[in-house]
Amino acid sequence: MSTKRYFFAISVLFALILGSFPVFAQDGPVTITWFVGLGAGGQPEQIAAQNAVVEAFNASQDDIVLEIIIVDNNVAQDTLGTLIATGDAPDIVGPVGLAGSNAFAGNWLDLEPLVESSGFDLSRYDEAAVDSYRTDEGLVGLPFATFPSFIYYRRDLFDESGIPYPPSAYGEPYADGDEWTMDKLREIGMLLTLDENGYNATEEEFNPDAIIQWGFVSQWTDPRGHASLFGAANPIDEDGNAYVPDSWRAAFDWFYKGIWEDHFIPNGAQAGSDILANGNAFASGNVAMAHTHLWYTCCLGDVTDNWDIAPVPSYNGVTTAKLHGDTFRILNSTEHPEEAFEVLTYLIAGDAAPQLLQVYGGMPALPELQEDFFATLDETYPQGVNWQVAIDSLAYADSPNHESYLPNFRRVTDRIGEFQVLYENTPGLDIQAELDALIADLQVLYETADEESSDVDTGVGSGS
Amino acid sequence: MAVQKKRTMSPLMRQQRRWGLIFLSPWVFGFLAFGLIPIIASLIFSFTDFRLTSGEAIQFNNFENWRRLFTQDTVIKDAILNTLRFAAIALPLSIVMPLLLAALLNSKYLFGKSIFRTLFYMPYVVPIISAIYIWRGMLGTEAGWINRILAEIGIKGPNWLQDAAFIYPALNIIGLWTLGNAMLIMLAAMQGVPTELYEAAKVDGAGPIRRFFSITIPMISPVIFYNLILSVIGIFRYFEVPYILREDQSANQAATMFPNVYLYKEGFALNDMGYASVLAWVIFVLAMGATILIFMSARFWVYYGAEERD
Repeated sequence: MSTKRYFFAISVLFALILGSFPVFAQDGPVTITWFVGLGAGGQPEQIAAQNAVVEAFNASQDDIVLEIIIVDNNVAQDTLGTLIATGDAPDIVGPVGLAGSNAFAGNWLDLEPLVESSGFDLSRYDEAAVDSYRTDEGLVGLPFATFPSFIYYRRDLFDESGIPYPPSAYGEPYADGDEWTMDKLREIGMLLTLDENGYNATEEEFNPDAIIQWGFVSQWTDPRGHASLFGAANPIDEDGNAYVPDSWRAAFDWFYKGIWEDHFIPNGAQAGSDILANGNAFASGNVAMAHTHLWYTCCLGDVTDNWDIAPVPSYNGVTTAKLHGDTFRILNSTEHPEEAFEVLTYLIAGDAAPQLLQVYGGMPALPELQEDFFATLDETYPQGVNWQVAIDSLAYADSPNHESYLPNFRRVTDRIGEFQVLYENTPGLDIQAELDALIADLQVLYETADEESSDVDTGVGSGS
Repeated sequence: MAVQKKRTMSPLMRQQRRWGLIFLSPWVFGFLAFGLIPIIASLIFSFTDFRLTSGEAIQFNNFENWRRLFTQDTVIKDAILNTLRFAAIALPLSIVMPLLLAALLNSKYLFGKSIFRTLFYMPYVVPIISAIYIWRGMLGTEAGWINRILAEIGIKGPNWLQDAAFIYPALNIIGLWTLGNAMLIMLAAMQGVPTELYEAAKVDGAGPIRRFFSITIPMISPVIFYNLILSVIGIFRYFEVPYILREDQSANQAATMFPNVYLYKEGFALNDMGYASVLAWVIFVLAMGATILIFMSARFWVYYGAEERD
């Protein structure tokens, strides 16, 4: 090869290397990356809407180029962790709830200075809603979408069994005049649980090995979510020690008995099988009642026109309807906080907000958007869903929240998950003894939490 | 001598050597970037508290991760036991099934050999992730084809993926789908066995079964050995199928906790890259140990005609 050719080849190579370093790149619009996957955002219609939002934002101005990364929820935590570790962290993450964000505690940007410098009007929001995002890290989010929980129920399955529907408003008794309690839920849940011969779970002939319809499921949540039906708590006291309140002990007794003795709640194997749509139990059409959140309107499958919603039952006179809240957050590694905040406000309160709230199934935190939100839901579900129950559920939100931070969050969550696998899949347990073992393990995990994770608000005592 | 050779290298040879190195360089860079450097890095990480999302600098924690492995960790022991249970079915299947299929395809009595060969090999080209989802449907309790076929003959099918007694058979049924490659290699080896050996055996009165065990098996034993090594390493690398099939709270969380699934959980779900690196080395050592044992056993059962002649 001649010297000229060598010189040319080396020059091209050098130019390519230089071009790949941002510091040598030409000045231009700032690129802001939006990471989707820790919460909602992975369904096909959500992906389409998010892409449309990105397109509209980029067309509306020339200073910022918004790029979106959408990953499957199953791998979102791993992917984001890897991106942060490799220095390729996105700027904005969301929608993300408490559980998703807790895994990245210590990585969120305090938005307070940006709110002040940009003059963003926080008075549009309920003050308590804004305060719920204030942690030891600062103001880590702004209210965007809330997802109250309530009971979804299948009208047709109630009709077939000749059982009256649950009450239609908080405070109302059941049709027979009894209070709407967890015991009442169990009672009608058993009547709605049928085997292949048509016997219900209260009858002697009932065959628990041949169930084709279950009465109740507390869907897509963990033990903290299950137990929240019996009262709000977090398994850590104000001194940082592991504990569970008596209401939660009663909750796990209720669930365990419901699965293995009363049989109106599917066990783990049943819930994971195709008779219950591989985990999406209520959408299978074989479950009469499910406790879950407003976001579940995303995933009802073929159950589209014969369901309604009802209040969460009370326990010992107290009603607790666990609450999810999703928002967008900015990672503190961002190199462009002002631009990221501009995009963030566009997503949560700008032109994109109504469109995103609709596809995420999130009740708008901005009161002026709520009416349109439910009107659009009515178009999708024209059977006349009692949305007032969803709005009223907010008054019974769990505090502390069932997804509140816990020291050593990932390992603690993993241990709590093991407890769930155990009680959902193992008959014959002494559930209280297992609970004691869980508490003992949690105590060790709290004590071995590193400093990074131990200074984040656990929600206990603060009422968040 | 070497110096003398170098001095006498012609310009053409030098140019050829230069171009040879240039063409080799992508592999060399790839091996360094994605092979050797990560291997060395994982050994170093195994002595640190490296966490993916931590903003803190990585600190050496001496032998803390290794101490945990030997004194505290019970999950890795269970994971290794799971591997052994799985291997007890998977390893014989991964050798015997391709061998039998290859023998079938090598038979002069089989009609439509090329069609069968294509059919047996085709699943191998289906991406593994798609195949797993297809099998999850096939193994469904109510709507799965396997249970529906069993129901047709009056048998109530099990809950394949959620029942601890059936999860390993289910995993092996899925594994059978990817035997096409091993089958093809064995078939090629069988077709390379000199026909005069069979003719001589026939003259001596050996029947088909005797010929198979006394001629075919010994003659293709290097290929069986090769497939065995690949299968053993594959079993220690087993990941995609259990990872996808074990839903978050499925009944078979414990039974599907294989070493690689555990590694992934520690590294990515629990954010402890230091300990995940330890697990990576445990898997490497186990796979290496098993491979060495098989190599040591080779002289007792693998027949190399060339060595014999030497």
